[in-house]
Amino acid sequence: MELSDPSLQPGPTSNESELAEAQISQSGDSMDDYYQLKNGLIISSSVIAGLFFGPVWWMYSLKVASSYLLGASVGVLYLRILAKNVEQLGTGNTQVGKGQLGVFVLLIVLATQWSQLEVLPVFLGFLTYKVGILFFVLWSAVLSPSTNR
Amino acid sequence: MDPLVAAASVLAAALGIGISTIGPALAQGNAAGKAVEGIARQPEAEGKIRGTLLLCLAFMESLTIYGLVIALVLLFANPFA
Repeated sequence: MELSDPSLQPGPTSNESELAEAQISQSGDSMDDYYQLKNGLIISSSVIAGLFFGPVWWMYSLKVASSYLLGASVGVLYLRILAKNVEQLGTGNTQVGKGQLGVFVLLIVLATQWSQLEVLPVFLGFLTYKVGILFFVLWSAVLSPSTNR
Repeated sequence: MDPLVAAASVLAAALGIGISTIGPALAQGNAAGKAVEGIARQPEAEGKIRGTLLLCLAFMESLTIYGLVIALVLLFANPFA
């Protein structure tokens, strides 16, 4: 009997391999929660930005409203990049938070250098993603018992 | 721009972004490390752990963004110039 016989090599038993497959399957199922949260945050932020755009235009001007909309769009982009970073965390990516801050720096530099944009509406538009997060979390935790987390 | 104001603004921007980054950086590293630990212990809860981490990071990083805004405004749209 040789030690190189593959039947004698220590390997996963059928129970262990079934357990590992079950864990992988459960992990894939639980990632659905994450993708649902990510899409919900992005959609709620976009909808709230769209809802605020009209009143800002009506109360101030098109210039302020377009600055707000640009800031809100970059806020949604920031959220997408952050979600992608969190998704890849632990699977090769060891850092969180470089790309999305670069996007924000570009936005503020553009807003300060280009006279057609105003800094404060751009910044407040960027922060719309926080309103979207609060709205989505409150809606999913309190108002919707079917998705109670 | 007055050279004294310019020098003070650059110094304030550097100090502002440097100091405002310390706390969120430590917190983000701690949160991400604990989340990865949690995923390693409970792979079946990976989605919920990553979702909670996303929400925590989004709010933590806004603290860095506040400091970044002050620094960028001081550098590019200085109200004292």
